[in-house]
Amino acid sequence: MAGTIRAQYPTSLRTVLVPCTGRVGSDLVMRSFGKGADGVLIVG
Amino acid sequence: MLESERHPNIDILSYSEVIEVEGYIGNFIVKVKRNARFVSEDLCTGCGACTEVCPIYVTNYFDENLSARKCIDIAFAQAVPAISNINREACIECFACVDACETEAIDFSQQDEIVEIEVGTIIVATGWDLYQGDDYGYGKYENVITQIQLERILAPNGPTYGHLKRPSDRKRPKKILFINCVGSRDVNKNPYCSVVCCNLSVKNSKLIKSEYPDSEIMVNYIDMRCAGKAYEEYYRRAREANILFIKGMIGKIEEDPLTKNLIVQFEPVGTDTLVTREFHMVILSSASLPSQGTNEIAQVMNIEKTSDGFLKEFHARLDPISTKVPGIFLAGSCQGQKSIDLAVSQAKGAASTASIPMGKGEYAIELIRAEPSDERCAKCYKCIDACPYKAISVNEMGNIIVDIISCRGCGTCAAICPSKAIDLAYYRDNQFTAYIDELLVIED
Repeated sequence: MAGTIRAQYPTSLRTVLVPCTGRVGSDLVMRSFGKGADGVLIVG
Repeated sequence: MLESERHPNIDILSYSEVIEVEGYIGNFIVKVKRNARFVSEDLCTGCGACTEVCPIYVTNYFDENLSARKCIDIAFAQAVPAISNINREACIECFACVDACETEAIDFSQQDEIVEIEVGTIIVATGWDLYQGDDYGYGKYENVITQIQLERILAPNGPTYGHLKRPSDRKRPKKILFINCVGSRDVNKNPYCSVVCCNLSVKNSKLIKSEYPDSEIMVNYIDMRCAGKAYEEYYRRAREANILFIKGMIGKIEEDPLTKNLIVQFEPVGTDTLVTREFHMVILSSASLPSQGTNEIAQVMNIEKTSDGFLKEFHARLDPISTKVPGIFLAGSCQGQKSIDLAVSQAKGAASTASIPMGKGEYAIELIRAEPSDERCAKCYKCIDACPYKAISVNEMGNIIVDIISCRGCGTCAAICPSKAIDLAYYRDNQFTAYIDELLVIED
């Protein structure tokens, strides 16, 4: 959706494809922070 | 309806409730409670001899309680199956019907019966119920009725045989007010639009006007929503027929205790004046509600509901027929109020969607499925509650079993498992961690 409407997002954003937002547990979010991510956006 | 009853491949279990559904697409086991109707379906011929001798009168629910019926009666003239039913709450057990019945079909000892049937697919079509709040004096003033009651009054087989008469004195009302959006489009009652009522007001006002041209009809609305093929033209023809459409909310309705006429106060939008007018009858376009047993059916089938209480489709726009359970489909107003043409379209869609796996005899599932590991599992069973599809169960050893047909591969169980004992094929934990680690490597 964001792509089809040509929405802009910062180049520093990295995307990870998940089958469902339910798949995203706190461990994956915490790991991202641990590896230096400034924020995690869970988009469904 | 009669055609479906005669069809060799269709079994109708009327006066019954679905109490349990087990299994999955292709192999559902459905438990149906057949309520005791105290009349044998095999023996009753629907002759009506029992109705003639019954001394007890009760209100007729089919005529929206505007007429009376006998305590033992066939639901309505065209009912399928045409078999008598006894209202045991009102019955005085005089057994006059038992003597009158020539086929000895009446059996007061009949008990509720539970039958188990095996089916491949299920279509839920439980319909809707009418909002019946006390808005605008409904229930208190005799001549304030709902659209559905008006439908019965205008029906040739209704309480007045199709002649327009008002309930209080059975005289023809000349000044009629329709009020739209009663109990709907109101955040304190039902926030949604009931879709069909605007057209229902247009249809019934036109019908009354063409039958009785001296009627003075006013339709009060918030917005007229006559969208759809030929409906706008229909609405325009109603305005051309001198039916008055007034935008604005009704302020107050009071009954004249002598004439039972209704004195209505309202302010038409943009006029800044309070108008008081007298009407002989007021008709409420009441909101549609999910039918009474919707909560139970959602629970039994493990399907979801939307915030308005109607059953939830798999995708509101792209898959409005399927539910989240493969093999269970929706048709008609149980999914949300809709016009007859849309209900027919959805029903045909549901029938053909259901017939695809039935005809093929096979159903393809994706390979993205949850995979439990017995060694790592600490048996906290958090995943069982977390699974939105109820695909996870425990075997006799206490180990986790995933039913790969019910599982839709969402991975909620994998996310919630504290000991990482359950993983999602093709979307494994180590895939994600590797991915995240690489993405977040700081480049110089």
